[in-house]
Amino acid sequence: MIPEAAKSKLIELLGNRGYLDRPEDLVLYEYDGSVDKHRPDMVVFPRSTEDVVAIVKIANEYNLPFVGRGAGTGLSGGAIPRAGGLMISFSRMNRILEIDLENERAVVEPGVVNLDISLAVQAQKYFYAPDPSSQRACTIGGNVAENAGGPHTLAYGVTTNHVMGLEAVLPDGSVITTGGKGPDCPGYDLTGLLTGSEGTMALVTKIIVRLMRQPEVVKTILAIYDSAEDAGATVAEITAQGITPVAVEMLDGVMLGMVEEATQAGYPMDAAAVLLIELEGLREAVEEQVEQIRAACTACRAREFRVAKSAEERELLWKGRKNAFGAVGRVSPFYYVQDGVVPRTQIAPTLRYIQEVSERYGLTISNIFHAGDGNMHPIILFDARKPGDLEKAQRAGEDILRFCVSVGGSITGEHGVGMEKMELMSDLFSDDSLEMIARLKRLFDPDCRLNPGKMLPTGRGCMEIRQKPLVPGSFVY
Amino acid sequence: MCEMVMRSLTPSTPEELAEGLAAAAAAGRRIRLGGAFSKSSMGGPISDADVCVSTQNLNRLRQYEPRDLTISVEAGMPWRELQNLLAENKQMLPLDPPFASQATVGGVVAANTSGPRRRQYGGVRDFVIGMTFATLEGKLIQTGGMVVKNVAGLDMGKLMIGSYGTLAAIATVNFKVIPAPARSLSFCRRFETVDEVFNARDEILRSVLQPSAIDILNPAAAERIGQEGWLLLLRAGGNAALLDRYARELSGFETIEGEAETALWQSIQEFTPAFLDDYPLGTVVRVSSSLQQMKLLAGTLSVPLVARAGTGVGYAHFTKPEEAGEWASRSKGQEWKCVIDFAPESHKEYLMLWPDPGPELATMQRIKQMFDPNNLLNKGRLHGRI
Ligand SMILES: Cc1cc2nc3c(=O)[nH]c(=O)nc-3n(C[C@H](O)[C@H](O)[C@H](O)COP(=O)(O)OP(=O)(O)OC[C@H]3O[C@@H](n4cnc5c(N)ncnc54)[C@H](O)[C@@H]3O)c2cc1C
Repeated sequence: MIPEAAKSKLIELLGNRGYLDRPEDLVLYEYDGSVDKHRPDMVVFPRSTEDVVAIVKIANEYNLPFVGRGAGTGLSGGAIPRAGGLMISFSRMNRILEIDLENERAVVEPGVVNLDISLAVQAQKYFYAPDPSSQRACTIGGNVAENAGGPHTLAYGVTTNHVMGLEAVLPDGSVITTGGKGPDCPGYDLTGLLTGSEGTMALVTKIIVRLMRQPEVVKTILAIYDSAEDAGATVAEITAQGITPVAVEMLDGVMLGMVEEATQAGYPMDAAAVLLIELEGLREAVEEQVEQIRAACTACRAREFRVAKSAEERELLWKGRKNAFGAVGRVSPFYYVQDGVVPRTQIAPTLRYIQEVSERYGLTISNIFHAGDGNMHPIILFDARKPGDLEKAQRAGEDILRFCVSVGGSITGEHGVGMEKMELMSDLFSDDSLEMIARLKRLFDPDCRLNPGKMLPTGRGCMEIRQKPLVPGSFVY
Repeated sequence: MCEMVMRSLTPSTPEELAEGLAAAAAAGRRIRLGGAFSKSSMGGPISDADVCVSTQNLNRLRQYEPRDLTISVEAGMPWRELQNLLAENKQMLPLDPPFASQATVGGVVAANTSGPRRRQYGGVRDFVIGMTFATLEGKLIQTGGMVVKNVAGLDMGKLMIGSYGTLAAIATVNFKVIPAPARSLSFCRRFETVDEVFNARDEILRSVLQPSAIDILNPAAAERIGQEGWLLLLRAGGNAALLDRYARELSGFETIEGEAETALWQSIQEFTPAFLDDYPLGTVVRVSSSLQQMKLLAGTLSVPLVARAGTGVGYAHFTKPEEAGEWASRSKGQEWKCVIDFAPESHKEYLMLWPDPGPELATMQRIKQMFDPNNLLNKGRLHGRI
């Protein structure tokens, strides 16, 4: 509950249209793209860094927890206010402040939607490289918090490789700026530390991002397989051969059916898997790579190899990929997405293991993922109305992540730990390492008001949350 | 360097490193930490210490899976050895750091050094995928892992990169590596004025060409490598058809290949060490700026300047420490930032090495305080401020 005095201060600050507190409005803010839920007590909409500072100071005065929120597309419960309190939505801090092509930079507010940066500079032939599949909706603030990736981050790097500097409000209400338009700013790399800190250490209010020049040529290839493992082996082969596509995405047979039904993108309905491979660069390099990729695919028993002939054909293939989650939603209202990573030589064995898990639990598991960097996204379909099904799905997910760890991988490649994979952190890191994360968190947020109860196993974070937050989500995209 | 009078430690396992640090810190001993100490003139002054810890015996290969394009090594492995291991598999870590023949992996990471091919491939922070470091409490902390994409936990490795060993001792580092291009070709063009050379650079930046290196040398720097005028140097890698294309599009440039190419980039990569050898009072200012600001700064410098003109880092080489100090102090309140990267030990105490750290210094100091509350480890090495 928010004390009346705090509420009136916030209303005075933000105006009547600057907040929400009626239960029917708050329910819309109780979830993100994951399966957990918890309702905030009040949602506030700052318009400036000064507003954010003032909000944080009021939160401190009244000892209220607070959580930042972008578009709420997060897949690990990052924006869920586990402890209630204030939710700070950045949706009205959504201006592109500066486009500076001469310096290959843009300065944006956190609420700017990812794709809008690329749209703003595409006429001048520039783009912003990190391209999460949710890029039409998710915000740069959320991307920085999660260190988001996307299909093209295989070649271009993830968010942290494209963020040059930040302005951030610390949990005590002070403002820091880190980095700048140039690289290698002196001192500790606070930009790098805060990027990927899952909104637990600072609220980001301004971001300097790197822009890149569009490539001369783009080629998109669809390689079709009768066995998912062969497709997985192809990724290992491409990596081993030193061929450097900008994206290698895989969709398995279950997924192909769902995607094709929803998007009619031209994917084969009868195949066991496809690879969607993109090459970019100068014509001379791309032409050679098409042939190298063709050889790798053929060596791994691809049954067909198609190069998209037109921009429309290419767009359609990508539309199918990027709308995949929507396609799943049409078939199964409940699903659970995992985000494990494995070394690229381990993709084929991991796919085999996922199949075993699917059989063991009697759940359909479909795979669509950033294969080029080994970032698996098994999607576990379940029916929350059936007692025990959600728990089964979660156990299946954990089994898969444990397997990823056992072959030298990680539990999350881009979605973050959030409140979903907290307990698995101990599988990956020693107690001392977890304690170090907790200490850094406490250094920034000694009173543990900013996004409490995330990232670290229960009992290791700075605040125990006893209430069990897990309520099966009923979400459809 | 570890002097004879000091107690010196050369641990050969990460555990020994952690134990050694913990024992020294528990006894309140001041610690000097390094790899091969090749970059002692870099960073802040070397304070008096009671114990000297070197990672030079911590030099093993831990894991290398060429088919996964990842490698894990101990921090004391010589940089050159790492390069050789990768080259055997036609792979590379194109950081091109100075002092490459003496440096250790840990030193390159802790000093965040890099070189020309930064334009295409990025710096240390873009290659490190995991790390373990030993704290003064004797703990070995892991961060990241052996996969190229990973967001589990805080990215604590970023704190260590460029920290000059002021927080903890890097014990092992995991990198992602890059397949080496089949062939390489370089291009050089001379210009009369700063405007001309930067305009030519702007044209390259706007074009579809993707050179791995875009460096500009001012006339004073050009002279040091036996050339004259303002030089624009480019490097490209790839197949023969691609390099032909570069040669066609860059018709006004002189092409450089083979041994001459290797020698050219070697002289650029080792420009600063060679300068410091020639000038015992040599003082080098490192500038971080926007690409356009770099042009304005270049116009104000008559001392040798090597600019990573497609990246936004520049190295200005002064023969007089005072002049370097004066020039560096102009960065105060500006959008561009600078530090004195190298200075003679005798001058470090009074030079303002890091003129304008900004309010975020307070946050950095708190981080230092957390890792090293008694300020025992590499005191002052972070540009004299931490
Ligand atoms: C269909 C679909 C596809 C997806 N594909 C991808 C993908 O390809 N790659 C990928 O990486 N992710 C993907 N995601 C996950 C998600 O889109 C990303 O994690 C994204 O970065 C979240 O952005 P958001 O604006 O929705 O943030 P939210 O979900 O609102 O918040 C995420 C986290 O960011 C914090 N936060 C938000 N704004 C700020 C701020 N200004 N300062 C500090 N903290 C802040 C929140 O507190 C929370 O912890 C996908 C999600 C969906 C639903």
